[in-house]
Amino acid sequence: MILYYLLMALTSLLSIPAVYLAIIERDLIKAVIFSAVQSTLYAFLYYLLMAPDIFLTYIPVGVGLYTALILILIKKTERYEGE
Amino acid sequence: MARIIHIFIVVSLVLLVAILSMALSMGGFGFAMPPSDVRTLARIFLNTTFNLDDKYRYISAMSPEAVTAIVWDYRGLDTLFETSVMFIAIVGALAISRGAGEKLLKTSVSKQGMSLITKTITRITIVMILAVAASIALHGHLTPGGGFQGGATIAVVPMLLIVVFSLYLFSKMMTVYKAVTLRSIGLIGIALSTFIVLIIALLYGSSAYVFQNQPKIYSQYGLPSYIEPIVLGGTLLLFNTFEAFAVAFGFVALFILFTFPEDVMKNIIIGDE
Repeated sequence: MILYYLLMALTSLLSIPAVYLAIIERDLIKAVIFSAVQSTLYAFLYYLLMAPDIFLTYIPVGVGLYTALILILIKKTERYEGE
Repeated sequence: MARIIHIFIVVSLVLLVAILSMALSMGGFGFAMPPSDVRTLARIFLNTTFNLDDKYRYISAMSPEAVTAIVWDYRGLDTLFETSVMFIAIVGALAISRGAGEKLLKTSVSKQGMSLITKTITRITIVMILAVAASIALHGHLTPGGGFQGGATIAVVPMLLIVVFSLYLFSKMMTVYKAVTLRSIGLIGIALSTFIVLIIALLYGSSAYVFQNQPKIYSQYGLPSYIEPIVLGGTLLLFNTFEAFAVAFGFVALFILFTFPEDVMKNIIIGDE
């Protein structure tokens, strides 16, 4: 049981730098990749919180579809964020 | 200015971590965050999800997976309207870009897409993704997962196909029109599954509830919960299958519209006049 809590704490803490980097990154493609890392960590967090249904939704939506959709959007607009 | 934003981001992240960890560790001080009487509600759901006992037989959903049972049996109408919300969103996207499907096929280019290595790897992974998606969707009444999860997993496949093999090759296999038709078939399947027990009961000259799954005290009709040794979950299997179908092809239609070349799309939105 304590192992679950430790893994939960670890995944949550690892997701915080990913969120920070995704916000401050000027290159939007890198920001999307950081966001995908954060999504993966959140998905594991849902699994550890015993919500496997959310986990199964989060993996394709958060990592696959959302990332791809934002990448298409970046391709149609601009890659670098202006000041 | 940028420095203030940085400080703001860092402070808000630190506050998030502190408040969340405080909320989670409050239980040790006696402030359990979900109140402890939530457990009795969970016990009711677990008792009525799959129970062959005579006392519970007529209020049980007879599906081993509690989440799928709740989504399609306890609150089936809710899920039906969720599905219709996504349907309306796709109708909106189609209305903006009507007539897009035909124009693309006329401007077909022969050689497009990524390198041979990427294409080969995609061919292999697509089979794996489809297998996982089918097991998520069709096993939804036994293991975690269900129609939407399976459909969203299937939707990764057209995304990969469009990115790796290019939209022109993909549009030879699947057009917006075809995807919307298949999606409508899935929705018709969901609508029929809603009424299937009622239809069966009417054929026997009796009556049943809409969205009924298992036999209830006042209407003894229902789809078989299990044929030894396979657990079928009554209407849940039908709902999951059709929902996966509808969600997957809804996403296909959206992806084709999203990945349209900008110049073609602009002409379509402006119109011919």
